[in-house]
Amino acid sequence: MTKIILNGREVDADPEQPLIHACHTAGTDVPHYCYHPGLSPVGSCRICQVEVRMNAEAPPRVMVACRTPISEGMIVDTDAAPAHAARKECLEFLLKNHPLDCPICDKAGECTLQDYSFDEGQGAGRTVEPRRKLEKRKDLGDVIVLDQERCILCSRCVRFMDEIPKTPQLVVSQRGADSVIETFMDRPLTGNYQGNLADVCPVGALTLKPFRFKARVWNLQKSASTCAECSRGCSITTEVLRNGELKRFRPRANPDVNGYWMCDTGRFAFEHANAPERLAGAALRNGQGWTAVHPIDALEVARDMLVTHGTALLVASPFLTVEEGAALVALGRELGARPMFVSPPKNELADDLLHTGDPCPNRRGLTELGIDGLSAHDILAKIAEHESVVLVGERVAELMGPEALAALPAALRMIVFDSHLLDVPAADVCIGVPIHVERAGTWINIDGHAGRIAHARPAPAGVQLLTRSLEGLADLLTSETRAR
Amino acid sequence: MVIVKRKTLSFSERLYLPEIVRGLSITFRKMFAKRVTRQYPEERLETTEVTRGQPRLVVNEDDSIACVSCGLCEAACPAYAITIDGQETDRFIEREPERFDIDMLRCILCGFCEEACPKDAIYMSDELELADYSRAALIYDIEKLKRPKSALEQRIGYVNKINQRWQTPSSTS
Repeated sequence: MTKIILNGREVDADPEQPLIHACHTAGTDVPHYCYHPGLSPVGSCRICQVEVRMNAEAPPRVMVACRTPISEGMIVDTDAAPAHAARKECLEFLLKNHPLDCPICDKAGECTLQDYSFDEGQGAGRTVEPRRKLEKRKDLGDVIVLDQERCILCSRCVRFMDEIPKTPQLVVSQRGADSVIETFMDRPLTGNYQGNLADVCPVGALTLKPFRFKARVWNLQKSASTCAECSRGCSITTEVLRNGELKRFRPRANPDVNGYWMCDTGRFAFEHANAPERLAGAALRNGQGWTAVHPIDALEVARDMLVTHGTALLVASPFLTVEEGAALVALGRELGARPMFVSPPKNELADDLLHTGDPCPNRRGLTELGIDGLSAHDILAKIAEHESVVLVGERVAELMGPEALAALPAALRMIVFDSHLLDVPAADVCIGVPIHVERAGTWINIDGHAGRIAHARPAPAGVQLLTRSLEGLADLLTSETRAR
Repeated sequence: MVIVKRKTLSFSERLYLPEIVRGLSITFRKMFAKRVTRQYPEERLETTEVTRGQPRLVVNEDDSIACVSCGLCEAACPAYAITIDGQETDRFIEREPERFDIDMLRCILCGFCEEACPKDAIYMSDELELADYSRAALIYDIEKLKRPKSALEQRIGYVNKINQRWQTPSSTS
């Protein structure tokens, strides 16, 4: 660590990183558009200008903080009048051709250009020439739409494509005032990491098609959570609109797991979470159909079934949290059974950046609890040897295969803890569970990193937590054994 | 505790009849005097450009809605009366409201929405009446709120006049 003097205060700085990194680490805000901590610095936007003196005798110079290396004893003043003046002039140039369409722009509210021009920009433009007219809706494939007028040519998107997925596709073409961001021959973007372009874009030039004009960002309630799509368990932010509808998943910076990025598979995996027709409370099979009951009554029926029908097979979902897994293991101890979880085959989405291709976000956590992963085929073979089976956790029926479950004999006693009603002949009791955005817990990722999942929105009315259901069932079984 | 003293009545008051006549004379006099009450449904209150009635949305001359669903009125509303969802359009203005609800029971007619609007799309109209048989019917949706620009011309002119007080010539460029 190197010592520098920042705004009159001595701070430690990492000599491997540019000056702006030291400023941000020390909690001093320096505006930046082209600099991104996960990308190489280029110094093209010039907004991060600060006043630097190499030592106490040296004359002050205004420099860009993102391209200035750290040197011992340098004196930095981010608040000096020449630095403010330089940044203000720079901002005027950035806004020279920027359209004033903040009311329409999706970035409004989280746009640093908007924030900083509000802080330090001037109220009126001095320009007399008309603004540049460029393409407002340039389609860049399935995920991204480019608005060339809003672009400030920071080239973060170009560097992201070059450096992170290492599939260079974007380029700054033309020169000078005619510069625009383009793909080669207007080909659509490809790859599983395009969504990050909308995150790295400091303005609203690159927007996500599924989010375009859907919500204002200040209306979204954000919670820190973990992605459910693979065993990497990227740290994410879940963003929920007022009526509980999930609108976005965005990566959350976590150097141990995902850096600043996430894949598109995880980013757009909220559609099934917004699906209606959830099982609220619990349901019991009667002669023809299902009767809605309170979960406690359903648990009592489940207890009676488990007591009278031999040893049960406990089948868990790979989405179980560690806490729920522990409750399941405790229930298994009560029943004299060892639980297992459905382990779907690896998918072809695996890459060498983030996606592991293993769709079980808590494989490691469950395995360490002594719950082993088996394929749906193997589990079905085991079910054939049992009189009763308990399916536990969200999407467990989906992963077991609804057709295979429908083919099971009606004589089999099946107790299902799932987010949706499983209407197959074998199923007798269905108890609703909250899905991963509706409960808190821990998933352990493939490298042993614990990721918290957050309670981002309330579960449907009547749905109780899975840990509570499992512990309730175990308690009922204990009192039953004591009574006998 | 308040002690109310009973008035001692004079002889003529105790006679009762003279007082009745006196009272009726006031009644008859007032029958021919100028009325001070307003016969409300027939005689409506005059509205001026300053009247802050219920907010209404401006529809442009080409039948497109002026609102771009930026959500600033929603954010400015102190009564949380406004709810907006946006959608994409084919027009040059890329965004328009898919849903624009104002809960008229919550609206306090403060005019913050009008002040917040960057697109001159919401104005306080001269419509003041609010009555219906259910609460749900008083949550006005976008179709109930749309008014042609001509219907709001008076208020638009007034707001522009007020705004000119602090507008500098170049601040709109």
